[in-house]
Amino acid sequence: MKHMLNHKLLKIRNLKKYYPVTAGLFSRHVGDIKAVDGVTFDISEKEIIGLVGESGCGKSTLGKTIPRLEEPTSGEILYKGTDVAKLDKKGLRELRREIQIIFQDPDASLDPRMTVGDSICEPLIIHNIGDEKKRMERVVELMEQVGLEATQANLYPHEFSGGQKQRIGIARALAMNPKLIIADEPVSALDVSIQAQILNLMMDIQERLGLAYLFIAHDLSVIKHMAHRIAVMYLGKIVELADKRETFDNPLHPYTEALLSAAPSFKSKDKDRILLRGDVPSPLNPPAGCHFHPRCHRVLPICNQQEPELAEISEGHFAACHLYKSL
Amino acid sequence: MTERLRDIVRRISRPPSNSTRLINYYWQRTRRNKLAIFGLTFIIFLVLLAVVGPFFTLDPTLVDFENKNLPPVGFTIEQSVYNTETDDFITTKVSGTWNHPLGTDSKGRDMLAMLISGARVSMLVGLIATGIAIILGTIIGVLSAYLGGWVDNVLMRLTDIMMTFPFFILLVLIVFIFGPSLVIIVLAIGLTGWTGTARLLRSEALSLRTREFITAAKAMGASDNRVIFRHLIPNVISLIIVIATLAIPGVILAEAALSFIGLGDPTVPSWGIILEAGQNSLRTAWWVAVEPGIMIFLTVLAFNFLGDGLRDAFDPKSNI
Repeated sequence: MKHMLNHKLLKIRNLKKYYPVTAGLFSRHVGDIKAVDGVTFDISEKEIIGLVGESGCGKSTLGKTIPRLEEPTSGEILYKGTDVAKLDKKGLRELRREIQIIFQDPDASLDPRMTVGDSICEPLIIHNIGDEKKRMERVVELMEQVGLEATQANLYPHEFSGGQKQRIGIARALAMNPKLIIADEPVSALDVSIQAQILNLMMDIQERLGLAYLFIAHDLSVIKHMAHRIAVMYLGKIVELADKRETFDNPLHPYTEALLSAAPSFKSKDKDRILLRGDVPSPLNPPAGCHFHPRCHRVLPICNQQEPELAEISEGHFAACHLYKSL
Repeated sequence: MTERLRDIVRRISRPPSNSTRLINYYWQRTRRNKLAIFGLTFIIFLVLLAVVGPFFTLDPTLVDFENKNLPPVGFTIEQSVYNTETDDFITTKVSGTWNHPLGTDSKGRDMLAMLISGARVSMLVGLIATGIAIILGTIIGVLSAYLGGWVDNVLMRLTDIMMTFPFFILLVLIVFIFGPSLVIIVLAIGLTGWTGTARLLRSEALSLRTREFITAAKAMGASDNRVIFRHLIPNVISLIIVIATLAIPGVILAEAALSFIGLGDPTVPSWGIILEAGQNSLRTAWWVAVEPGIMIFLTVLAFNFLGDGLRDAFDPKSNI
């Protein structure tokens, strides 16, 4: 299904989020952890962008910086043209109506002392919407929308299974009729058999309500299922951004190749696998030049000297790699 | 709206009072602890006694030298009485009577009446002083954890300073300076006793603060007030209940100890005051000191048993 790509909902320009590292008695500033280091991309209305990368590459931080749960260090986050970083308290509240988050661990993201009905209702109360009866109707509607029995609204989170809890988390995110949902690895804490159900539910809802998703995952197979475009992140930077088909059929960046080859598949033989050596380097002290070069299987002499920029290699297909500079 | 939808809304809009089921759950867990139930029963008995008892007993301030130093029912003691006619002491046997079932003190006041009005004083001191300490401790602990930064630093250094003073000496000093009235004693205990609570709640709130449901509430646009009062506090309430139950006996003991060293409020007969008066006549009328001593002992024990039971019941990891 092709979608409209012209209406930009969110534009992120050169976004950086550094965590200062201090040492000693007087909190001397000794460096920065560059969790997000100059990220630029757009999300259109009704678009699903998959954001993949290994643990610790800054995916979640990026997701949390968009509704300013983390303050950005620099760069712009333009939501419908207004810079999120400059919003005051009131503006931020308005923003948080339209951007919602679905969290990774459904168990931790629900208040254990609140009935699930109250949890789903909470955004409505916070934003002062409707009277008590109206809200209750909305809760019933939401619970049925995500495939739960509305009569279970009076139960507490511990009385539900993991998959059901994630459905509650989704219902809560939908309560305010958001435009954009940031899904931070929404299925990685669930059983494989439940994952598919939740993914299908999310796709179904996206189609019905016309939402945009920023879908964060560390697993390409999850994203393959639903994303329109895929952004691959490595050490705080986007190294490749392209249409889903392009990414899977014609990956440009060696890191994407490695990720794709790591995904289990019936077609590829083990001998073709590209194995990534070592761990993700520390974001406190990333390697010089291209951050990926110590693990790269197609490394060039230039790679440890100069950092490649994210450039459009073919139409709509961006990559940050020296291999394609001459093309 | 369909009829079915309306029916569901009707059913869920009248929840069995949101927390009833949770309370019921904890009650079932507490109930399994026999000692806790003994404690609870004794406390309820004591509260009833303190509330309605004074209406049925003699006036605890009524002085009656004819019947001074009467032993409790069932006890007989020998008493030396000065005989003005022969100008010497004669020894007589004195037995307890049902008029004064727990005996009388050296001024002939009824012990039962005094103990019951003492229960009222001790309970009031225990509950109000603990209340002040817990509320202060909760506010300071939770604010410290939630706001962090310099607020945390200032509040925790203040707590450190308070903690370096020996609690009882500080108490004695305050009561000595401001005078031994019940109000001062309650305030002094309340205003010095919050430090442990603040520390405990700060650490609990610190670990809660990083939990995802707090982030989720903020992501929904919830204000700090809402996060603190709707998410943080409800999640520490069980801890608060346990701390309070275990703090009350300490407060009752502190008041008794203050009274015992002569810094109690002389106008209200608390158990400590009676005990202090009784220590002088331990040889001639042991019951005056022993009876309030037993009451203090049992009350402290009851609260401790209940507190332990509640702590186990609230702890999801304990198998009871």
